[in-house]
Amino acid sequence: MSAKSPILSIRNLSVAYDGVDGFLEVVSDVSLDLVGGEALGLVGESGSGKSTLALQCLGYQHPRARVLQGKVFLQGKDLLNLGFEDLSRIRGKTVSFVPQNPTTALNPAKRIGQLFTELLLHHGVVRSNHVAAKRTTDLLSQVGLPDPNQMIRRYPHELSGGQQQRVCIALALACSPDLVVLDEPTTGLDVTTQEQIIGLLVRLRQQLGLSMLYVTHDLALLSQIADRVAVMYAGQIIEVAPTVKLFKEPLHPYTRGLIASVPHFLSANSKIGARPLQGLLRRADLPDGCRFSTRCEHVTDLCMDTRQRLEATSTDHYVACHRWNHIKVTFNEEKKSERLIRQKAEAILKIEELTVTYHRSGSSIINYFRTPTTPAVHNVSFQIRRGGIFALVGESGSGKSTIAKSISGIQPLDGGKIIFQGSLITASIGARPKNLRKEIQYVFQNPDASLNPRIKISEIIGRQIEILNDCGRDEIGERVMIALDDVRLDRSYAKRYPDELSGGERQRVAIARALIVNPSLLLCDEILSGLDVSVQASVLDLLRRLVLKKDVSMLFISHDIAVVRGLADDVGVLYDGCLVEMGTNEEIFSAPFHPYTEMLMKAVPKLNKKPLFDNDSHQITPSEAKKVGCAFCGRCSKKIGEICEVTPPPWRLFGQSLYIRCHHEGEELKMVPDQK
Amino acid sequence: MKISLVGDAAITKSNSWRVRYARMWRESPRSFRIGFMILLFWVVVAIVGPFLAPFGPTQIGTGIPLSGASWEHPFGIDQLGRDVFSRVIHGAHIVLLLSISATLCGLVIGSFLGLLSGYIGGWLDEIIMRVSEAMISIPFLILAMLIVAVAGPQWSGNPILVIVAVAIVYIPRTTRLARAASLDIITKDYITIARLRGEPSLSVVRREMLPNATGVLLVEFATRAGFAPVLIGSLGFLGFGMRPPTPEWGLMISEYRELIFLSPVTLAGPGISLATLVVGLNLCTEGLARMLGRSGEGVSA
Repeated sequence: MSAKSPILSIRNLSVAYDGVDGFLEVVSDVSLDLVGGEALGLVGESGSGKSTLALQCLGYQHPRARVLQGKVFLQGKDLLNLGFEDLSRIRGKTVSFVPQNPTTALNPAKRIGQLFTELLLHHGVVRSNHVAAKRTTDLLSQVGLPDPNQMIRRYPHELSGGQQQRVCIALALACSPDLVVLDEPTTGLDVTTQEQIIGLLVRLRQQLGLSMLYVTHDLALLSQIADRVAVMYAGQIIEVAPTVKLFKEPLHPYTRGLIASVPHFLSANSKIGARPLQGLLRRADLPDGCRFSTRCEHVTDLCMDTRQRLEATSTDHYVACHRWNHIKVTFNEEKKSERLIRQKAEAILKIEELTVTYHRSGSSIINYFRTPTTPAVHNVSFQIRRGGIFALVGESGSGKSTIAKSISGIQPLDGGKIIFQGSLITASIGARPKNLRKEIQYVFQNPDASLNPRIKISEIIGRQIEILNDCGRDEIGERVMIALDDVRLDRSYAKRYPDELSGGERQRVAIARALIVNPSLLLCDEILSGLDVSVQASVLDLLRRLVLKKDVSMLFISHDIAVVRGLADDVGVLYDGCLVEMGTNEEIFSAPFHPYTEMLMKAVPKLNKKPLFDNDSHQITPSEAKKVGCAFCGRCSKKIGEICEVTPPPWRLFGQSLYIRCHHEGEELKMVPDQK
Repeated sequence: MKISLVGDAAITKSNSWRVRYARMWRESPRSFRIGFMILLFWVVVAIVGPFLAPFGPTQIGTGIPLSGASWEHPFGIDQLGRDVFSRVIHGAHIVLLLSISATLCGLVIGSFLGLLSGYIGGWLDEIIMRVSEAMISIPFLILAMLIVAVAGPQWSGNPILVIVAVAIVYIPRTTRLARAASLDIITKDYITIARLRGEPSLSVVRREMLPNATGVLLVEFATRAGFAPVLIGSLGFLGFGMRPPTPEWGLMISEYRELIFLSPVTLAGPGISLATLVVGLNLCTEGLARMLGRSGEGVSA
């Protein structure tokens, strides 16, 4: 492979953004080669400059960005010196781009077919609409979309997120490019969809011999798709190595921290022998020397002053750390998770046969005459033990958040009971007394939306006790400070506005706001999904500590089954508004498994996992054959036959307290999710 | 990175506000700076102008009527022999005061109603919005005249009545806009959090929603304030607003419109003044909105 000449080569590239305080360098002195047919992964936290670098490979830069120095060669052509005409001839044809968010990338006003025709005609790949349509259907079936002839007549919003991303990939492949740049193509998708997309990419690569530059923050994903990985930190490439080698013996302390931050659930993360990353990437105060030195545990005085350059440690492994040789890989014994097994039988919250239906939104007068739609949550019952963490797992749209909203009182119920601390509580928040409102606190997924951008942190947190607790006005300030200490934020943050904080810090503020009133139940709705892997690890750690310290119970909602494994006491797996499996953590993660749970577990990207192939059998839309038999039967790999479609599966007890909703008896469900 | 956030906090409090405003000015959009200068000019004119004007606003016999522009009479002399330049200067504070206070009244009441309507929803929303739409369907000039007529003759020519009339014309329009803005804001989780802690509705509107709607509302203020002098002038022209000989610009434009061929500069004087004021107001508030809406969301109006 090394004999081939590079298709893309970046030489000493530095890019800066024109900011308020002058130019801010986001990419510094990066050199990188990509040979034909290779898949290069580019990994880093948000703000590390990876997207900026990726866009430069298409000769594109943000209007406020300036290239300070360096060159980008694509097949020998200097992209940065080409005019607009030349660039537009190259983009899409020689190099193409798959964006992060397909929903905004596809023009909503155009049919899928039009999107392709436009592109194909522009690049002169085809001469007529008719041939373009033919090529489009070929492309669509190539990316595994069902019924391509129908598909070209559809509008983007009629497709699911995964299908939209497949369309984006097909668009990128339309003119048979030599290089495809993918910028976090699966970040917004469900785990199971993500697995399919990755499988598709791996298959396409083998079929077409594509070169890929795959940008992501998810290191585990890269192990499945990339040949080589470049790790980026604060605008610099700090380590480049073949994927297998990087995961086996990472040299840079940052890479090690990154790997250690990935939540694992089947294998121990002990091989690397590093602790999860500490602190945050702050672009405002980077040291002169090694940029990672402020967060590095092996830091010396020399690191602070000397700039580190990439040096070869072997023929294909480069690292920008001058102490790489001195840092010994320490083998940590895997720490048993610090979960206390508090088997207090007493339930703090009991949900009985909860059913919620969303009524169509719109004008209330018109709504009045409409019939309700199908339930989003259907007959769900579970209980949360005092001091315990109950996790709800499921894909988006499975009704996880709806359940949390019903408990909190903002979502009216259509049936069922909520029993809190032994007494039935009213469903409507308006009718709940103050002490009850205090007891149940909610933390939302997206701190950008849950913190008012125009209110200072001190007031955001303080208002919560001002309304809910009877404490003096002078006391509030002190309580806010203590709350900030609890979530390990500096007290000076009280004077700031939310947009002056990073995503992880904002989520900490949201947690502080919920915990300041000393609630007994905390509803956490996907609170980690918007955060970087390294930040996730630290927030998770914080949460674990606070739950112990404050003695709160928690409903933890997540789509990430690996996180749940490390945190929860009890787990419920939700599919399409129905609980399909429920039990203690240990029971859920050992046989027998519900086929859906098994699928979720297999979909989690793991380090060292062999690449998967596209498996289209799971792709049938779940809406088929619904509501009569098993909701999951359309996607189930262990479907028995007629019975699954016609008869609702039984809710059966397996072992001590594990419930599974499936027609299968125990034996068939014992397939252990293997490592393959 | 030359100035980090930490560095700013270290600056002593005594001169920190000066540093902050200097920095704000440096970072402000160009449109804001230009608009602000124009506005500042008119505010200065409104305050010190009456003391410096060469003639009184109603003083007649200052020269030969309709004699055109000269150094002594830059905007010429009207048909009654009054110096138009002096009248424009004397009218500045009336125009500014009337249009800004009327717009402000309309904006405050309208945005409150709109945000509340959007937040509470249901029947209250229906009632407020249907009434607003009914009011919008009446042409604004006719609505304003209706209000003046209902008030009765004892209020005739009273500036308070003009302010109230213009405010009432503006309220339903602002209500609709504020409600539209609120529909986006109420989907945000911080509103849900406020609801969950049992925050009273009025408090949610004031504390949580209003600061996030300021961008939209400021732009609305600019366009409305720019139009207010025109509306007030039209009312005056029809005999429902300020009465001659008040040197109100809109009124002057109406009065001098027959002179457009005889002495164009006489009409141009108040006309250009009004135009620059409107442009200044628009540029200034647009820039301000962009600065306040840090992320720029919801400001695109």
